[in-house]
Amino acid sequence: MDREPLARPVTVAVVDDHPIARDGIRTWLSRDPLGRAELIASGATIESVLRGPGATADVLLLDLELHGVMVIDRIAELCAEGRRVVVYSGHEDPETILAVLDAGASTFIAKSENEQHCVDTIVTVATDRPYVPPMMAGAFLSDARPQRPRLSEREREALLLWFQSMSKASVARRMGLTEATVRQYIDRVRVKYAKIGRPAPSKAALLARAIEDGLIQAHEIQEYRSFAADPESAP
Amino acid sequence: MTGDPAAYVAGRYERGSVVAALVIAACWHVGYDLTALVVNWSVYRWPAAVAGSWLAYVVIGVVAAHALLRTRRTPGAVWGFAGAALGIDVIVLAACPAGEVLGPGDWSWGSIGWLGVLLFWWRRGPHELIVFLVLNGVVMLTGMALNGVLDRISLARFLMVLVGSVTLQLGYSVATHALTSAAQRAAQLSAARAEADAARQAAEQVHADRLGRYAQVRKAAAELLAALADGADPADPVLRRECATGAAWLRRLIAETDDVPDPLVHALRACAYDAERRGVVVSLLPRGTVPELPLDTRRALTEAPLEALSRARSEARVTVFGGAGEVVVSVVADADDFPIRRIEGIRVTEHREGEVLWIESRWPDR
Repeated sequence: MDREPLARPVTVAVVDDHPIARDGIRTWLSRDPLGRAELIASGATIESVLRGPGATADVLLLDLELHGVMVIDRIAELCAEGRRVVVYSGHEDPETILAVLDAGASTFIAKSENEQHCVDTIVTVATDRPYVPPMMAGAFLSDARPQRPRLSEREREALLLWFQSMSKASVARRMGLTEATVRQYIDRVRVKYAKIGRPAPSKAALLARAIEDGLIQAHEIQEYRSFAADPESAP
Repeated sequence: MTGDPAAYVAGRYERGSVVAALVIAACWHVGYDLTALVVNWSVYRWPAAVAGSWLAYVVIGVVAAHALLRTRRTPGAVWGFAGAALGIDVIVLAACPAGEVLGPGDWSWGSIGWLGVLLFWWRRGPHELIVFLVLNGVVMLTGMALNGVLDRISLARFLMVLVGSVTLQLGYSVATHALTSAAQRAAQLSAARAEADAARQAAEQVHADRLGRYAQVRKAAAELLAALADGADPADPVLRRECATGAAWLRRLIAETDDVPDPLVHALRACAYDAERRGVVVSLLPRGTVPELPLDTRRALTEAPLEALSRARSEARVTVFGGAGEVVVSVVADADDFPIRRIEGIRVTEHREGEVLWIESRWPDR
C-alpha cells in the first residue's frame, strides 16, 4: 500500500483479558522492521486501559470477548468518543463482523489472520484508511441484510477472490488488473459500508479520507451526510 | 379432507347411507303414516293420541338424525328412545278398534323399525336392532291376542308385514354397513399398494446409488490396494500421496450420502478432518447460502479442490461461497500441481504462487 513516512510511530492501546495475548501483540509490534507502531498501554478491561496513557492512543486494539462477555455494545460508545477501534476476535462469523463494523469499528481482524495483518492494519487504520482482511471480505459477501450496499460485479468478484485469500497480486492476475485497482475495488466496498449503520466519527473520518484519496467522489457521500444529520432516517 | 384415503372414502360412503336412511324414514312417515292417520281419523278411539304418537315419532327421528349427522355417535339413553318408539306402537295399537288391528289405520308397527335403524346406526353389530324389531313384533302379536284376532288370515298378514318391513330395515342397515367397510378396505388396499410401489422405487434407487458408489470406491482404492498387495513400497512418496487422495475419495463417498442440511460443506468438512489428522492445519470457511445441488454436481464441484486438499503438506484454507445462483469452492494450500480433469458445467481455475497452489472450482460454468 502507499505508505507515507510516519512522523512518529502510531501509539496503540490493547484491551485483552489474556496476558499472553497482550504480550504477543507487543512482540508483533516490536518485530516490525520499520518500527511503525508502539504499544503504550494494555490491560484486561476497557476502563483500566482508558484510565492511563491508553486514553490518548491513536488506535485501540480490542478483544471482542472479555472475561467471557461479548463487548459489541461498548464499541459504539468508544467510537463516539472519537477513538479508532480495531476489533480482533476468534468469533469470525459474518454476523459478528458486520455488527462490529456497524457499531463504528475501523476494522475487524480474525484471530486466525492476526500476525500477518496486525501491524499493517494498525498503521492503515491510524490514517483513517480502509483495511479489509480476507475474513471481512467473506462477511461482506454473505451480507444478506436489506440495508447492505449495492456492489458492482467487479467489486464482488474482487471480494470473492480476496476472501479465498492468496494475495492481492494473485487476485490482480486472476482478474487481469493491476494490484492497485484490486485494492481500490475492495477498499471501495469498505467505504460503502461506512455509509450504513449508525454514524460515528470513525466512519466520517474514513469517508473524508476516501474522498481525499480519490477513492470515492464527494457527491457519493451525500447519502451518508443526510443520515448523519437526521439519525431517525438512518437505515 | 383427512390424510388417510381409507378413512376419507369410508366417511363418504357412510354419510351417503345415513342420508339415504333418513330420507327413507322421513318419506315413509310423511307419505304412508300421515296418510293413514288422516284417512282413519274417524276410526280411532282417541285420534288426538294417535296424532301425538305421529309427532313423537318425528321427535325421535330428529334426535336420531342429530346423532347421525352432527355428533356421529349413538345418542345417550338410546334404549329410552327405543322404548318410547315401542310406546308409540302400543298407543296406536290401543287406539285402533278391534277391526282395525293390522288394518290401514294401524300404521306404526310397520314403520317404527326405521327409527330402530336410525337409533342403532353406530352400534357395531345388528344385535340391538334385531332385539328392537323382535320386541316390535311381540308388541304387535300381544295386541292381536288381546283383541282376539289370531285367526289364520290375520296371522298370515302379520307375518307378511313383519317379514316385509324387517327385511327392508335390517337388510338396509346390514348392507350399507357392509358396503362402508368394503369401501374402507378397498381404499386401505390401494393406499398399501401405492406405499409398496414407492418403497420398491426407493429401493431400486438406493441399489443404483450403491452400485455407483461401489464403482467409485473401486476407482479410489482397488488399484492402490492391488499395488500394495503386489509389494509396492509404502515409503514411496508418490504412493503415499495417492493413498491420501484415495482416502479423501473414500471419506467423501461416506460423507456425501449423509442426510445433513448442507451436504457440500459436510463433505468438505469430513475431508478437512482427514487432512488435519495428517497434520495439515485446515481452515474451512463456508459463507453465503449454498443452494441444493444434485450429487453429481457436488461431486464434480469438489473434485479438484479436494485433490488439492489431500495433497496439502502443512496448511490449507478452504472456502465455500454460495450466492447469486453460483457456488464457488476454493482451496489455497502448499501442494504440488496435479492434472485437473475437465468436467462439463464446472469451471476450474488454477494458480500458483511459489509453494502455494490456488484451486478454484465454480458452478455453473459461465
